[in-house]
Amino acid sequence: MVTAIPSAVPNDAFSASPSHSPYEASTQHKHWRYSRTALDEQRASLNSAAVHVIRNAFEIDDPGSSNAISFLSPADEYLLVKLYISKVGQLCAHFHMPEVVEATACSYIRRFYLRNTVMDWHPKNVMLTAIFLASKTTNHPIPLEQYASHIPNTTPSDVLDLEFLVAQSLGFEFVVWHAHRALWGIYLDTQTLPDISFHTIHDAYIASVAHVRASRLSDAELIYTPSQIALACFHIAAPVLAEQWAKAKGESDVISLLPAISDMILQEGKPPDLERVREIDKRLKICKNPEKVVGTKAYLKKQAEEEAKAKEKREKKAAEIRALEDARDPFGGELDPEGAAKIERAKQLDEDDD
Amino acid sequence: MSVPWLKGPQKRAAPGRVITTPSTQAFLGGVKDATGKTTEYSPMIPTYVESCTSDRYLNPNLRLLVSSCYHKMCESCIDRLFTLGPQGCPMCGKILRKMAFTPQTFEDLVVEKEVAVRRRIAKEFSKRREDFSDLRSYNDYLEEVEDITFNLINDRDKVETEARIAKLRVENAALTELNIQREEREAAIVRAEEERVQREQLERAEEARLLEEDERMEREREKQGIIDILQSTDKSATKVIAKSRAAAQKRALRKAPTAAAQASTSAAANTAARMRSTVKDEPHVPFTDDWYTHQDKFVLRTQYGDPGTDALVRDLVGRDVLRAGGYDIREAWDRAIRTSVVGLAVQPIPNTSPESAMLSAV
Repeated sequence: MVTAIPSAVPNDAFSASPSHSPYEASTQHKHWRYSRTALDEQRASLNSAAVHVIRNAFEIDDPGSSNAISFLSPADEYLLVKLYISKVGQLCAHFHMPEVVEATACSYIRRFYLRNTVMDWHPKNVMLTAIFLASKTTNHPIPLEQYASHIPNTTPSDVLDLEFLVAQSLGFEFVVWHAHRALWGIYLDTQTLPDISFHTIHDAYIASVAHVRASRLSDAELIYTPSQIALACFHIAAPVLAEQWAKAKGESDVISLLPAISDMILQEGKPPDLERVREIDKRLKICKNPEKVVGTKAYLKKQAEEEAKAKEKREKKAAEIRALEDARDPFGGELDPEGAAKIERAKQLDEDDD
Repeated sequence: MSVPWLKGPQKRAAPGRVITTPSTQAFLGGVKDATGKTTEYSPMIPTYVESCTSDRYLNPNLRLLVSSCYHKMCESCIDRLFTLGPQGCPMCGKILRKMAFTPQTFEDLVVEKEVAVRRRIAKEFSKRREDFSDLRSYNDYLEEVEDITFNLINDRDKVETEARIAKLRVENAALTELNIQREEREAAIVRAEEERVQREQLERAEEARLLEEDERMEREREKQGIIDILQSTDKSATKVIAKSRAAAQKRALRKAPTAAAQASTSAAANTAARMRSTVKDEPHVPFTDDWYTHQDKFVLRTQYGDPGTDALVRDLVGRDVLRAGGYDIREAWDRAIRTSVVGLAVQPIPNTSPESAMLSAV
């Protein structure tokens, strides 16, 4: 019927190359990918900037006090975050949430602390908010009242207060690709390989699942792709089978990456030592940012500052509208629709960006 | 005093039939429809009558009539209260006569009242845009009319509103007369059109019937003819029948074009009219893109060993308890396998400085 289909997009704009794949178009690949050193640098710089700010905040409260406080190091922060990531699993199991919620929440917490510091926001609250947010974004939502009532010492507002902050720190990029789904894919696809018994595959899969869970406690998701992590977990459980599958897919290059990933998972995939974490938590209570603690001088000062800014903005806007109205002909009526429209627009515009 | 609506079951109208009791004809404000298409609103829902506290549950044939002050009362109440002459309405006290009750047309009495008011106003004030020199004065007139209508509907400033009506009537006396005539003419045209259409339909039905009759007669005659021939001649029966059938076919072919032609001309006229109003259909441009789907990396099977989803696939729990309509496990498998092959070739970002084991060692 139709001989030539006119294309809406010229065919040479994209080519069907592997880089034009859905994963590489995802925000996970575009924005949340680091090298190991880049990760360390990011955390270090975040930490030092935070220490600087908090030191000043302490100075406002009580000059000279900040020298006595030992702030957390990036390693301390990392350990604390890791502990709370390891607790996500228990909490999700309590609510019978599917694994995708757990994995997404872990990713959210990890990414959140690439943009914020533990001294500003305690990971316990961030964890609760991240799980709630993850349940919503993965389409397994749970009502807030039910959620808060099942967690001791938690009110709904504790969960909601941080929700926007977490979402903003994630850049509103809520979709996360996970290794456990890739592992399931490997499990299914290895069944198409010739001469492999289902029993072998199944045993390997069960063992790999534990490794994938462990990988969530490491930084693997920020460095490698989910399929690579899944293959590495499978490789730990059944090296020969994993390599055979990779070759069958025509991706033998990936095999060289696997040892590094496996090392990372096996070394970092264990929950941290509780004693050390408890000690870090104690120190955190002292070096917490006073601006976030209700009632301190720094907090009140911050409030006052924000009030002043908001007031200034309001006055500026009122002055603007007044100027427009003065400039407009009072008897304009229908002859000055533009002026009327300008004033309407100025009244409705709400410039929230500072 | 005649009590038409209480004359017993044979007078009771079935729900949906038009009521033409004297009261409907007398009461000018109600919805009186000459074409006979408006029916009475009589819901078979539980209805409570305030004036006598009876309801439809006790008396299924309860019929509520509406007074001129727009209050509803059942027939027995009306009979009880107004047989001996004009009385005050039990709800608002306005003096009513027994004749002043109409059956309800609309579910909402507010609507009923509004319709009555608007009918009255429309009859009196029906000027059009052509009767005015400019748009402004036309709009002013419309606003005045609407103001009056609003006041009447909501019983505001009764005296003042009546004065305004009188004033307007005087102003527009001449034009109103013209407009009434114009409207009547238009209504007549519409009626004529309707009648014509109806007549045409009847004619066509009649024609079709006649045609069928003719055909039947024709067949009867044929059969009779064959029988006669068979009786009188010695020719073989099959040959006779074949000859007569051939003759019948020839006759049918001759008739068919004319009948078909008739039908096709009318059909063609209809489609031509429709075609003129339809929009051109442009060739569809499909959305094209060039995503690499990794389809070459795997072949999806219809069956996998997957104990985790076994209960789901075989729906062991019960009929579609776990699955929604349209659910296909192969889509989940496809997504999983695709996730496992996508991104395998992505190289991690290389380290910029010598690898520090600062955080990795914890």
